Amino acid sequence: MGKKILVVDDDPDVRTFVVTVLEENQYTPLVACDGVEGLEMIQKHTPDLVILDVLMPRGSGIRLYRHLKTDDALKSIPVIMFTGIALRSFLKSQKVLEEFKGEKVPEPDIYLEKPVEPQELVDAIRKKLA
Amino acid sequence: MSANKILIVDDEQAIVRLLSMSLKSDGYDTCTASSGEDALDVFEKQSPDIVVTDIKMPGMDGLELLKRIKDLDPDKEVIIVTGHGDIDSTITALQYGASDFINKPVRDEALAIALERAQTKIRIREQLASYTQDLEEKVAEATVEIRRKSNFQRLLIHSSHDAIVAFDQDWQIVVYNPEAARMFEKRARNVLNKMTIDDLYPPELATFFRAEARNGAHDRGEMPWKEMTLETRNKKLIPVRYATSVLHEKEEFMGIVNFFQDLTEIKRLEKELIQSERMAAIGQTVSGLAHYVKNILIGLKGGSYVVDVGFQNSNMEKIKSGWQTIQKNIERVANLTQDMLTYAKERHPEVKLCAPNEIVTEVKALVSDFAQANDIEITTRCDPEMGQMWLDPGTVHRALLNLVNNAIDACMEEDDLDRQFNVEIRTGKTEAGAAVFEIEDNGCGMDEETKLKLFTPMFSSKGGKGTGLGLLVTKKLVEEHHGTIDIDTRLGYGSLFTMTLPERPETGRDENDK
Repeated sequence: MGKKILVVDDDPDVRTFVVTVLEENQYTPLVACDGVEGLEMIQKHTPDLVILDVLMPRGSGIRLYRHLKTDDALKSIPVIMFTGIALRSFLKSQKVLEEFKGEKVPEPDIYLEKPVEPQELVDAIRKKLA
Repeated sequence: MSANKILIVDDEQAIVRLLSMSLKSDGYDTCTASSGEDALDVFEKQSPDIVVTDIKMPGMDGLELLKRIKDLDPDKEVIIVTGHGDIDSTITALQYGASDFINKPVRDEALAIALERAQTKIRIREQLASYTQDLEEKVAEATVEIRRKSNFQRLLIHSSHDAIVAFDQDWQIVVYNPEAARMFEKRARNVLNKMTIDDLYPPELATFFRAEARNGAHDRGEMPWKEMTLETRNKKLIPVRYATSVLHEKEEFMGIVNFFQDLTEIKRLEKELIQSERMAAIGQTVSGLAHYVKNILIGLKGGSYVVDVGFQNSNMEKIKSGWQTIQKNIERVANLTQDMLTYAKERHPEVKLCAPNEIVTEVKALVSDFAQANDIEITTRCDPEMGQMWLDPGTVHRALLNLVNNAIDACMEEDDLDRQFNVEIRTGKTEAGAAVFEIEDNGCGMDEETKLKLFTPMFSSKGGKGTGLGLLVTKKLVEEHHGTIDIDTRLGYGSLFTMTLPERPETGRDENDK
């Protein structure tokens, strides 16, 4: 069995796509449709990597990301942000949150802007899991 | 003293001299003559104001002299000096226009009184003459002024951009300007003073005005501007705005005046304006659309990748799910295209008899699978009295579907996990008989700012998942149906959209006639 990778995305099409890419490359995919479900899956299955959408209902990707990076038990799990939001907008939103909350969260390891070619995604995963 | 010159005529020289002296001492200017013939000579040469003449003289007597003088100048005053009881000659003198009589022998006081009276008469006549002249001048001036004003008014009516038609108390047309001739397509010479209101106006309009005039209940006799469509003789339809004044004189009906304004050009411009605003909105929407289209492309690409993988591995499940993704995105493109077309083009509702409650059932069936998959309950509460109504079922269907989908999206956006999400569709009727559709959800609701921007083109609160066209299209469809959409919303608690559509049977009949 390959390494466990969790896909958190509210769009079923994106989930199907990413799951297919993962299966094709001998990873074990896990799926969650929103932030809350994502956290449950992480706590339950401790995946090797999380592919995370930013804008989702019920606890957005932003909230889940910040949770992961501030939880000592989970902060070592690498996260790939996989989203339609431009990186610049995402970083700006994080800066605002940090100033407001007074806590610093590291920038995401890898930030992929949709659309993403399957190979691009695989390269990113390999790089993180090497 | 104006009438100062006096001619004294008598065949007795002594009397002439005596009177002359007496009058001169009173300040008069005198001249004398001893016979009628002589007197006429002097009269013509000296033109006295007053003549005092004895009645009995040899040759031309006083009466003849009086007659001659009055023939020459009727304004001269002639005082007749007469003997006692000479009634016949007195009457003749009166007939000839004598101004006064004195008896013989002439007493100074009597003469003075007679002269004064004659002078007063002359003065009054002079004044009267001057007044008359004055009056004539004033009348002439006034006439010129009136003519000028009436010309001005005629010109005003003639060149007015409003069609002006006026009727007298017998409903005969008495004013009919060129614009009216253009609008009604009838020549003025065939209309003016020849036609009545019934010959010119459509029957319902004529009846209406006749009733208005009978009522006469209007305080100032004026009615507010109204709009209507006028059908001309050549079956041309002209949208017009018209005002009416009922004319009264001393409480009595005198007629009415109508002013018509041709709204064809204004209506055309209005239409053009709406169209160009809409095109501008489409332009603004492009950036929002680009984002949406990009998402569709991502879906299509992802889907085809999954299908490819399925083919390579002969995995039917993969092919199926990839194909579903592709189909879903094709559907999104189709919807988007339809929304854009609907929004860009002017469309008239296609009204027919339809059952609103049935449309609600259809819409519910369309969304229920998706709603169920997301734990959202869809309920309906339909008024059994709705029955069949004259509405555009297409408009009702699309607007409802859009609003219900929005309501489902709103439920999915809400973070409160303990909530049992519900979307309820209700139908009913207003007092006026319009159809009312209520779509209520207990989803995320909206803040004031979002609510205000709701109908702005390209505005979407759904990130890349919305085109920013949905509500815009819904609103347009509803407005073309002369209906309204009202929103009641509270952030975190849900929204209530109320769509009211009046019945449009007249449009329905029109459509059926075609």
